[in-house]
Amino acid sequence: MIKITNLKAGIGETLILNGVNLEVKAGEVHAIMGPNGSGKSTLASIIAGKEDYEVTEGEIGFEGEDLLELPPEERANKGVFLSFQYPVEIPGISVSNFIKTSINERRKAKGLEPMPTPKLLKMMREKMELLSIKDGYLSRNMNEGFSGGEKKRNEIFQMAMLEPKLSILDETDSGLDIDALRIVANGVNKLKTNDNATIVITHYQRLLDYIVPDFVHVLYNGRIVKSGGAILAHELEEKGYDYIIKEADKKWA
Amino acid sequence: MGLIDDIKSFSEKEKLGAKKNELLQSFLAKGFPTIKEEEWKYTSLKNIVAESFSVEENGTEISKGDIEKYILGFKYKIIFLEGVLISKPNIKGVDISDFSNFETKNDDAIFGLNSALAKKGFTIKVENNIILEAPIEILFFSNTKNNTFVQHRNKIIIGDNANIKFVERIQNLSSTKCFTNHLTQIHIGKNTNIEYNKIQDNSANSILIDNINIYQLQDSNAIVNTLIFGGAFTRNTLSFEQNGSNCDSNMNGISILDDNQFADNHTFVDHKQPHCRSNEMYKGIYLGKSKGVFNGKIMVRPDAQKIDAFQSNNNLLLSESATIDSKPQLEIYADDVKCSHGCTIGQLDDEAIFYMRSRGIGAEEARAVLTYAFASEAVNNISIPEVKKLAQKLIAKKLNVDLDFNL
Repeated sequence: MIKITNLKAGIGETLILNGVNLEVKAGEVHAIMGPNGSGKSTLASIIAGKEDYEVTEGEIGFEGEDLLELPPEERANKGVFLSFQYPVEIPGISVSNFIKTSINERRKAKGLEPMPTPKLLKMMREKMELLSIKDGYLSRNMNEGFSGGEKKRNEIFQMAMLEPKLSILDETDSGLDIDALRIVANGVNKLKTNDNATIVITHYQRLLDYIVPDFVHVLYNGRIVKSGGAILAHELEEKGYDYIIKEADKKWA
Repeated sequence: MGLIDDIKSFSEKEKLGAKKNELLQSFLAKGFPTIKEEEWKYTSLKNIVAESFSVEENGTEISKGDIEKYILGFKYKIIFLEGVLISKPNIKGVDISDFSNFETKNDDAIFGLNSALAKKGFTIKVENNIILEAPIEILFFSNTKNNTFVQHRNKIIIGDNANIKFVERIQNLSSTKCFTNHLTQIHIGKNTNIEYNKIQDNSANSILIDNINIYQLQDSNAIVNTLIFGGAFTRNTLSFEQNGSNCDSNMNGISILDDNQFADNHTFVDHKQPHCRSNEMYKGIYLGKSKGVFNGKIMVRPDAQKIDAFQSNNNLLLSESATIDSKPQLEIYADDVKCSHGCTIGQLDDEAIFYMRSRGIGAEEARAVLTYAFASEAVNNISIPEVKKLAQKLIAKKLNVDLDFNL
């Protein structure tokens, strides 16, 4: 589904990604772990199309297309979804209007008519139930005054509504208490099919108890320095990142 | 020749009477305000008054079809054509008539000029305990043959325990310039609520100087919503004088300007009595080479304790050539008051634009939605659904977007 080859990127003179290689196939869940400042969120932002970063080398292929050539909205319309680490507050726009606009813009891109309102509302109710979201939420302004947990849940709600092919969950577990974490993870698992894929970015192993990855990668200094199965996450939880960092520093010294 | 000369020659052939002539002479001695005066520092009339205007209305006929699209269609309508009252509703306890002379404090040259020359306008007297469900729609239409300078002088006196709403619109139908000097004095009785909505969506050749002076008695609540979309030049002066305790004075304003449009909102709340509140929210969106001015003055007099006054003026500059001058002024002479003011001038949030684009909303739409959302906060305070809907429609039109916000 997505193939990242030798991706190098940064802001100005500072190189943040130093040659990332990653391939995610349909039906797979990949976890990207790593210490703070290793480039995890940068990678997520670049896949989604954030223009602050400059890609100096490498490619991102998404279903055979060059993703780097497309503006963010076209990437979204092709099925890329980023659950933000820090979701943005948008005063003056209700959750329902925001989602309605986003679904219909997407349909417009595909040459479809806007989704009829009753159908849209029914779908919203279903997905709200899936994520145990309370009534009254739809008329609140987008992320405005939301708690950290509510913001993250709102991200997964949008993911449920937009039904992306590739979801990137950037630190979705931060700000969630254990009950909310379970609900959100459960929602993500229920949305999983053989045709979509998920990249879970996390600092801690905790989330991976609920969303079990097929592959775990460790990102350090802008490179994937180690990959393995779900067991790698447990190993990291036990031993910390130190031993991998030492190995990597030796290798790329 | 300029407007001053036009006024001079008009006054020479017109018999104004001693008192009005005195007012006029005092105006002529001073002339129109210039940017050297503090209250007009950012608002220049120079180019406007350099042109020639007819001081008498000289309208051509207006057909019903011409005005229909400007009427919101409420049950009660007051319609003026070329300053002539042609239609007024019959409402029990509400007396509506033509112009009646009244005096004002003429501390501004433009007020003085209005006092001297005005012969047109409405007078509304509302008895105690009158509650109207539907608003009174007030419409002024002009269709002048050549550039015209007109004066309207209106007065509303409302008794106690009443509840009334107004929607006002001044519309120039001609292709010549119409310069309106519009003054409205509103006296509000005890425990009375009023809402005054001004829809300023006049044609691109219109110039408006609008003064509203509101005098409140105890337990009264006054709301004024000012919606500026059209007109070449608009200067609104809005003042509230609280003459009793437990009064509320509320103002909401939206200006969305483009091209070379200019709009100035000058507000003044005079807190003279204790236990009163004022709340002010003005939003401005500036495109093209448009220019905005905001001047909000709050005065708390020595005996006016326990005052709660809030003012905000938030502006979006969406073009490099657009400008806004914003000036809050707080004068507080009492010690137990809560007053705050905030002013922001900014652009759209790039993070928010990226967030929306990442959800499939195109960059242009994202900007439009965010701009719309910025304005909507002030629109949401309008209580009349028809006015709110019109405001939403005009905002969308002005921003050139087709967005459906009803769900």
